[in-house]
Amino acid sequence: MRVELTVNGEPQVADDVWEGESLLYVLRERLGLPGAKNACEQGECGSCTVYLDGTVVCACLVAAGQAEGAEVVTVEGLADGDALDPVQRAFLDAGAVQCGFCTPGLVVAVHDLLARTPDPAEADVREALAGNLCRCTGYEHILAAVRLAAERGGEGRS
Amino acid sequence: MRFLRPHTWAEALGAKAEFPDALPLMGGTDVMVDVNFGRARPNALLDLTAIPELRTWAPDGDALRVGAGVTYARLVSELADRLPALAAASRTVGSPQIRNRGTAGGNLGSASPAGDAHPPLLAGGAEVELESVRGARRVAVEEFFAGPKRSVLEPDELIAGFRARPATGPQYFAKVGTRNAMVIAVCSFALALRPGEGVGTGIGSAGPTPLRAYAAEEFLAGELADRWEKRDALPGPVIGEFAELVAGAARPIDDVRGTADYRAHVLRVLARRTLTWAWADHCEGGAGCA
Amino acid sequence: MTTDIERVTGTALDRVEGRDKVTGLARYAYEYPADDIAYVVPVPAAIARGTITGIDPGDALAVPGVLTVLSFRNAPPLAGNDPELRIFSSDRVSYRGQMVAAVVADTLEAAAEAARLVHVGYDAEPHDVLLRPDHPEAYVPEKVNPSFPAVSEQGDVEAALGDAAVTVDTTYTTPAYHNNAMEPHATLAVWSGDRLTAYDSNQGSSTARDMLAAAFGLEPGQVRVVSPHVGGGFGSKGTPRPQIVLAALAARAVGRPAKVALTRQHMFAVTGYRTPSIQRVRLGADASGRMTALAHEVEEQTSTLKEFAEQTAVPSRMMYAAPNRLTTHRVVALDVATPSWMRAPGECPGMYALESAMDELAVACGLDPIELRVRNEPEEDPESGLPWSSRNVVACLREGAAWFGWAGRDPAPGVRRDGRWLVGTGVAASTYPARRRPSEATARATADGRFTVRIAAADIGTGSRTALTQIAADALGVPPERVDVRIGDSALPTASLAGGSMGTASWGSAVAMACVRLRERLDGAGGEVPEDGIEARYDTADDIKADAAYARHAFGAQFAEVRVDPGTGEIRVPRLLGVFAAGRIINAKTARSQFIGGMTMGLAMALLEESVPDAEFGGFLNHDLAQYHVPANADVANIDARWIEEDDPHLNPMGSKGIGEIGIVGTAAAIGNAVHHATGVRFRDLPIRPDRVLDRAPQIGGRNL
Repeated sequence: MRVELTVNGEPQVADDVWEGESLLYVLRERLGLPGAKNACEQGECGSCTVYLDGTVVCACLVAAGQAEGAEVVTVEGLADGDALDPVQRAFLDAGAVQCGFCTPGLVVAVHDLLARTPDPAEADVREALAGNLCRCTGYEHILAAVRLAAERGGEGRS
Repeated sequence: MRFLRPHTWAEALGAKAEFPDALPLMGGTDVMVDVNFGRARPNALLDLTAIPELRTWAPDGDALRVGAGVTYARLVSELADRLPALAAASRTVGSPQIRNRGTAGGNLGSASPAGDAHPPLLAGGAEVELESVRGARRVAVEEFFAGPKRSVLEPDELIAGFRARPATGPQYFAKVGTRNAMVIAVCSFALALRPGEGVGTGIGSAGPTPLRAYAAEEFLAGELADRWEKRDALPGPVIGEFAELVAGAARPIDDVRGTADYRAHVLRVLARRTLTWAWADHCEGGAGCA
Repeated sequence: MTTDIERVTGTALDRVEGRDKVTGLARYAYEYPADDIAYVVPVPAAIARGTITGIDPGDALAVPGVLTVLSFRNAPPLAGNDPELRIFSSDRVSYRGQMVAAVVADTLEAAAEAARLVHVGYDAEPHDVLLRPDHPEAYVPEKVNPSFPAVSEQGDVEAALGDAAVTVDTTYTTPAYHNNAMEPHATLAVWSGDRLTAYDSNQGSSTARDMLAAAFGLEPGQVRVVSPHVGGGFGSKGTPRPQIVLAALAARAVGRPAKVALTRQHMFAVTGYRTPSIQRVRLGADASGRMTALAHEVEEQTSTLKEFAEQTAVPSRMMYAAPNRLTTHRVVALDVATPSWMRAPGECPGMYALESAMDELAVACGLDPIELRVRNEPEEDPESGLPWSSRNVVACLREGAAWFGWAGRDPAPGVRRDGRWLVGTGVAASTYPARRRPSEATARATADGRFTVRIAAADIGTGSRTALTQIAADALGVPPERVDVRIGDSALPTASLAGGSMGTASWGSAVAMACVRLRERLDGAGGEVPEDGIEARYDTADDIKADAAYARHAFGAQFAEVRVDPGTGEIRVPRLLGVFAAGRIINAKTARSQFIGGMTMGLAMALLEESVPDAEFGGFLNHDLAQYHVPANADVANIDARWIEEDDPHLNPMGSKGIGEIGIVGTAAAIGNAVHHATGVRFRDLPIRPDRVLDRAPQIGGRNL
């Protein structure tokens, strides 16, 4: 089947989509946007977190057909040209990145968290990011990145 | 495989009548896992997310009617005052990403014994609304579950939503897992006090289906009958007996997540704790929260 | 070239590839483009032991888009010495989940659908997948990894134990654990004539290249393995895994590029895991706590395919000064996948047992557990008699005690309450060898004032690309912005694996020396860079052969505070502190994250993680991330890592010890010891699950909350 959607502001068309296919597969294998990662296919790890019509979801659990007509934003769509989003900048500055495989999902999840709660308490951060597994960092530097991005507010785009 | 995407409820019922083996798809948090893992390979997926009616809730007489497509995130943000145990359970579901997609209606459709929405729906005396082109019917939640991941849903029926009375007293939901978040319940319990009326209970992950602890409800209702007004401390033995009866109602098994003994024990603890909290709220005259 | 700039090693330089990673532009193996890619889905064995009686690919081949079905019936034989990689070489099934066939198709959906339709007939035989005490098939292997004797004895342990004023005799068990790097193992294989390029997720592209060349009977020069970004490994991508040979086999069979990514479930079968262990530890001490005897006897598993004998008791050969020592290993070849490397193999499970037993000895002696360790500090390596290159475990314990607030700790167990929680603290020491392996590197100066360093190193998330940039910048005497480090490609100078905490030490040695050579050449050229650049190369093989004889180890101390709910058996860890002595720290930012990440994995080892064998059907029961509990953000609280500056001249040009593994070592023991301090009960079987706590609740006396 054909699926038409908007990804990072660009209209996209995917043809020959299998009906049981996930949005994640469409993004990665059909639209050339491998930023969202595939690591569990069951909504446990959050590596595939993207915005779907303004809310964060696991793209692996969204059927491609459910994204028909939807607005999708992936990690590739957060920076403004060369200017990193403040969350991306904070991840870099705080050393919140190791292997990088969980990073795209975490960056999107933190972006959403701070949009909803600009100054979250630590417990709220840990809860809000509970669906994004990271095997490398032990989360401390990720927490630091969230704090840094929150402190900077909307500034820090670079 | 077909991908069916009706835009009205009538179209959806028509599609389900035409393709009774179509697998209804809502937030995808269970169904898409099965599709991704190759465990489900239906002839058709019936996507219900484009149907506006399913995403609404409204008072209906003395009850609330909640559409099957209301997400956990909205149950938390919009209904915590009226359905506090369900909102509390919704808060413990997965992650923000899962709560943004998953629905209590979908949870009912999967009919997993571990579904987090089920204990509060049981404790709250909810009814499930089922509908097909043949007509609509309501089924008490405890009669909805037919076995592990099985329900009384007919092949041509869809879950329209559920009805539950807004809380008239304190309600609590408690869950134990082996991780602090993102956890499938090893065991869960919901309690609803209805002052002057009675008590509701719901047990999750401790039997082939979600369960009510009938004997515990009856016992506690009797003990509370002349205490609702007095609002005095509950004697320890009453709490203890209630906890025993709750544990006795469970039919747990050993599995990777926990042993049967552990589940029975944890249920006792959860029953004690929720009753203690709920009764304290009642004595303070608060509406209760979770 | 400037020479008066600040040293950049030791600073917290930002990760050089960080920008690519936060923007989603960093490419991982499965994400490389190629024309007309075919998708490969393996078929896992449904039995744990037996013979394949037939493979019927008919229904699978009938699925539109299916190109071929590979199995032992039609796959060309593979060479090489690793039976886990000689896929489809025989009709034998050695463990459940072993690859017995694979489908290659135009689309992933077609391949996955067809893989379910490959009908495999089996003649199943009775299987045994459970390690248990005194297994009748247990035997003493010739060596344990990588080449230690399986048994080592000094003095007379039995006599010393008999004479000891205080003894401890306990048995600890650890379950199987899976590495579960976030990136599933994946390969895109592209043939061009008889040349093979593999975009692959691994811990060493030189190693993967050599393996692929051997498997397909090619010269190493005919094979290129490209792996610039790797989504974690933790040992599971050190030994190449079957997906790389499968992709190459499939691509050759269909004459198109082919790619495969293992599913998370299948990773539990074919990407290795840490062996479960049964460890008896006996300690003897005089009344003052000076140890006279240490016996550490280990039983663990291997497979019927090949022997993998984890060196679990080896740290007990060097950790304490007991003059009478016995360390033994026995393995059982079960009908399981071959266990493999997982973060701090040997030290991680072995130090869990030893450091738990040390805590028990401290209680038995009435000594503070830090003091007990200080009293048993060896002057030299007890086993080899070699001097320590540096050994600062006591400093880690002392400094850590001050930072953690250990002073004044009431040793009485099971007496501190905070509401429904029982509270306790615990400590354990940690250690990990500091080694290096031969590697080659080149350094090149170009007329534009920039420098390029090339080495087939791997960055699996450790920060090695960044550390090597710093090392090169200092060796060249230039700012790091002028240095480009190229890694992750076997076409670069050959390098050792990212493993055994040896990566940065091994590669850094080669990089530093290549840069020193380049600088000499530049100085010789009067500081002028010729039009076409100038280059130097260095191979550390001879240096390493000439390394003086020292016992080289990193050390550390782990402190934990735990809270135990005796009503539900839940355990929380509000505070974890690790203090490490690991030579010079090259990058403060990446190092701290590495330490904390290791400690978090240790926390999970103690409380959450466990691969449960399926006794009935083989394989593991909880083979996905919903059931195997990698810790989530909400499972950890305040974890801190600090270090003690060490100046150890006997290591390498940087003076660094590896840091990737020591963080996990000791953490589980510290938490177990804290749980004892909180509850008064010893839990000697990991993980310390809530049901296990509740089983002992009558001893805690807290069941009725």
